[in-house]
Amino acid sequence: MTLVRRYGLTVAALIGAGFVFVVPFLFIVLTAVKDRTQAAQLDFTWPTSFPLWENFWTVISTRDFMLITAYINSTILTVGSITLLVILAAMVGYVRQRRKAWWNGLVDFLVLAGLMMPPAVVPTIWLLQQLGLFATLHGMIFIEVAYNISFCIILYRAFVATIPREMDEAAIIDGARPMDIFFRVILPMLKPVTITVIVVQSVAIFNDFVNPLYYLPGNDNVTVQLTLYNFQSQFNTSYNLLFMNILLVTIPPLIVFLFFNRQIVAGMTSGAVKG
Amino acid sequence: MTTTVSTPIAVPAKPRHRRRSSPYPTWFLLPAAIVYGILFLIPTFASLYFSLTRWTLFNSSFIGLDNFVAFFEEPFLIQGVVNTIIFALLTCALKVVFGLGLAVLLTSQIHARGLLRSVVFFPVLVSTVGVGIAFTAMMHPTDGIINAGLGLLGIKGPGWLTNPSLAIYSVAFVEVWRGVGLATVIFIAGIVSIPQDYYEAARIDGATGWERFVYITLPLSRPAMVTVVILSFIHGLRNFELVWAMTRGGPGFASDVLASVIYKQYQAGFYGLSTAGNVVLFVLIAAMAVPLYLYLNRKEGHQ
Amino acid sequence: MSDLTLKSIRKSYGAVEVIKGIDLEIAHGEFVVFVGPSGCGKSTLLRMIAGLEEITAGSLHIGNVLCNDVEPRDRGIAMVFQSYALYPHMTVYDNVGFGLKLAKAPKDGRDKKIRDAARILQMEHLLDRKPSQLSGGQRQRVAIGRAIVRQPEVFLFDEPLSNLDAALRVDMRMELSKLHQELGATMIYVTHDQVEAMTLADKIVVLNGGEVQQAGAPIELYQHPANLFVAGFIGSPKMNFLPVTVKGIEGDTIVVQADEIDDLRVSIPGATARPGDAMTLGIRPHALRTGADGPIKGTVDLVERLGNETIVNFRLGGGTQWLAVLDGDMPLHRGQTVGFTAPEGEPVLFDRDGRNIAIANPQAEKAA
Ligand SMILES: Nc1ncnc2c1ncn2[C@@H]1O[C@H](COP(=O)(O)OP(=O)(O)O)[C@@H](O)[C@H]1O
Ligand SMILES: [Mg+2]
Repeated sequence: MTLVRRYGLTVAALIGAGFVFVVPFLFIVLTAVKDRTQAAQLDFTWPTSFPLWENFWTVISTRDFMLITAYINSTILTVGSITLLVILAAMVGYVRQRRKAWWNGLVDFLVLAGLMMPPAVVPTIWLLQQLGLFATLHGMIFIEVAYNISFCIILYRAFVATIPREMDEAAIIDGARPMDIFFRVILPMLKPVTITVIVVQSVAIFNDFVNPLYYLPGNDNVTVQLTLYNFQSQFNTSYNLLFMNILLVTIPPLIVFLFFNRQIVAGMTSGAVKG
Repeated sequence: MTTTVSTPIAVPAKPRHRRRSSPYPTWFLLPAAIVYGILFLIPTFASLYFSLTRWTLFNSSFIGLDNFVAFFEEPFLIQGVVNTIIFALLTCALKVVFGLGLAVLLTSQIHARGLLRSVVFFPVLVSTVGVGIAFTAMMHPTDGIINAGLGLLGIKGPGWLTNPSLAIYSVAFVEVWRGVGLATVIFIAGIVSIPQDYYEAARIDGATGWERFVYITLPLSRPAMVTVVILSFIHGLRNFELVWAMTRGGPGFASDVLASVIYKQYQAGFYGLSTAGNVVLFVLIAAMAVPLYLYLNRKEGHQ
Repeated sequence: MSDLTLKSIRKSYGAVEVIKGIDLEIAHGEFVVFVGPSGCGKSTLLRMIAGLEEITAGSLHIGNVLCNDVEPRDRGIAMVFQSYALYPHMTVYDNVGFGLKLAKAPKDGRDKKIRDAARILQMEHLLDRKPSQLSGGQRQRVAIGRAIVRQPEVFLFDEPLSNLDAALRVDMRMELSKLHQELGATMIYVTHDQVEAMTLADKIVVLNGGEVQQAGAPIELYQHPANLFVAGFIGSPKMNFLPVTVKGIEGDTIVVQADEIDDLRVSIPGATARPGDAMTLGIRPHALRTGADGPIKGTVDLVERLGNETIVNFRLGGGTQWLAVLDGDMPLHRGQTVGFTAPEGEPVLFDRDGRNIAIANPQAEKAA
């Protein structure tokens, strides 16, 4: 490829990507820092005034600082779900990979089903009510674990396959019992894939909208994504506030993305190569 | 030196059990199985029953297949099923086409590849509801920047979300915008795993760029293709967030999909009907995605 | 004391039997080497002793305890793996001390044992490193250190040197020998390399196809191989073989004939053979001498003159390739026809079933 064509292609790609992918983000950012009347025009113009702090404060303090509550709830939900996901999925991925047993086919089938099938929501609500878990954060944590564990099991199982069995055997000879082998030898060696799982799942759970919508009704347990939904009607005419909210909700995944770009891509593309 | 080490202490103990236990105990599966079984499997099986009832969460009365009949007689429910299929097929096809195109571009010798990859991928990580709200604003029929931009070119843009025959396609377009980054990175992963030797051999044989794409890139990135097709197809069938954030299924029921129908019926208190919608969605996925999965994977095995 | 006794040990994977009934006695403090070609079941046998594989049938006693169903940690064994299998997330110190920690050994005693082991293996300066910061030889030491601190009665090694380069392998071999003397523990060592086996072992166990071909002192196996397999496997270069027929018997001397060589006299006291019996003749390359009117005539293919010895590749009349290792320098050249003799006591004869007729007479077999 000649230099001219190469640069030409680069410039074209940059302009195209800029147009399609960057303009919407700029639009969000610009609208978020406009005043109400200018934002209502929905156009792609430079803000005439910068009520940045004011917009920020209004969004934060709306409905008794609901956004703060939501951040706390989303954090609890994300951290709790991921802690359980990492341990439970690693245990399954490990035993499934290591052990030849009649139930291997069943496990694979259930993992695949969990990956593809949508949950039956109303029966789940009914069941959660029976268990006293409906509209509670810990109930929601278990839901996220149940819905996301398939993906994590697949990642863990693939990674366990790369750890030689001699590692387990060395531990057995050293006198390790099953729990020791797993928690003191295998789990630490799973660190790379654990980072991937944490990063990918934290973004997914933090961004989850449907499940909290069904299983976390009410204002006490509102999550970050639900604030968008709740404020949509409230900020009906205040696009600047709505977009400021979008911006605030997008910041955590943005930070994760900046630091863990590689792990996210690795996690989401696993399976693409081996098939 | 010898004395400190060679005194044996680890004398073989008496055998403690008949059969030695496996170092990989089955009960490791138990915690996951309990959570998954209770919160996913039981509701799934329960839905098969409740979909045949009129149900208030406190009591249910068996009404046979009435709920399913409704799905295929009530126009707004049929619309939901049809839209779901259109949405899934369209987004899947476009994500494959654009994703593959972008992947080829972003693995070629162009500058700023890393930056471009990040730019394309980032929408995947943004709140879907946020994307929906932003695009709703941008697609505003008179004030939105999309129609304003078209206006500059002398084109009068349509009412993207207000025109009933266009709304579902507009949402599908946004879904492609949001999700194409994932398809792209998956294709990139597939393409970079192809050994360079193939390309060098082809270049020596005088293959053109297009021929290299058709005879090398396409067949050898098949696992990536399988992943993208299945992932985006199932995602398309299950899509709820975008439709809900952008149109609430409107105007009227014009852009309802199964997932939004399920939610609406749930809100309206028709729990049996909502659950039947869920079962229809299971069946759709099982009937379309499972054979697709098996077909794509089998073919690959035979290569 | 911890003698090991294996009785009719068998191992099957599904319908495939890979260990076909092994009987073995290993005395306390012995250095035993399992040797055999790849896939013959050496690792499987070792892993059954370790407790990493179920024993399908037969019994394994360590000391006086039946160990078939005893957990590996209770067998008083330690094992060194081919890939070393060091825990990558732990320092050398923690790697070596992991077993003690699991056994809940008190911290002081643990520290002393770890440092003692490190001193014996001269790796005290490595204790704070991670395995990834070590060379192959250093990793090997850590793996051995991990075994030593357990103070086992039996050390098990599965091809521990095969990942090292040749020079390091020779060094480690000597160190292992030294370690064996220092610790006085039983060592069972698996290798496919017969030189390693010969240099290390008190007792070699030659395995093939899941069966013991012969067990004994290295020199015993070299001088009196029980069968064709052992004869071919032990000794380097390999023994020369040729199918022959018994022509006549003169007391303790058997005269054999073949198309490719002249009649050859082999002295085997007490052997039973009858004229007309088909046998295989085996002569070690080192046993051959040149002699113009020797019974073995060959055409030289290749000569390697090393100064102190000369290695001659030659072809018998029928095309069979043989090798001779001659003392001193011999200025032979390619294409030359050379006659070879062998002292009457040197050649070995194997019967139709491949058994050495000097050893494997029917009575001896029944007694064993
Ligand atoms: N887990 C297994 N399942 C089936 N066959 C096995 C298994 N492990 C080993 N084998 C077979 O047992 C035989 C002996 O293996 P091994 O003991 O590893 O040989 P060696 O260590 O002497 O090279 C081989 O033929 C191998 O294919
Ligand atoms: Mg082996």
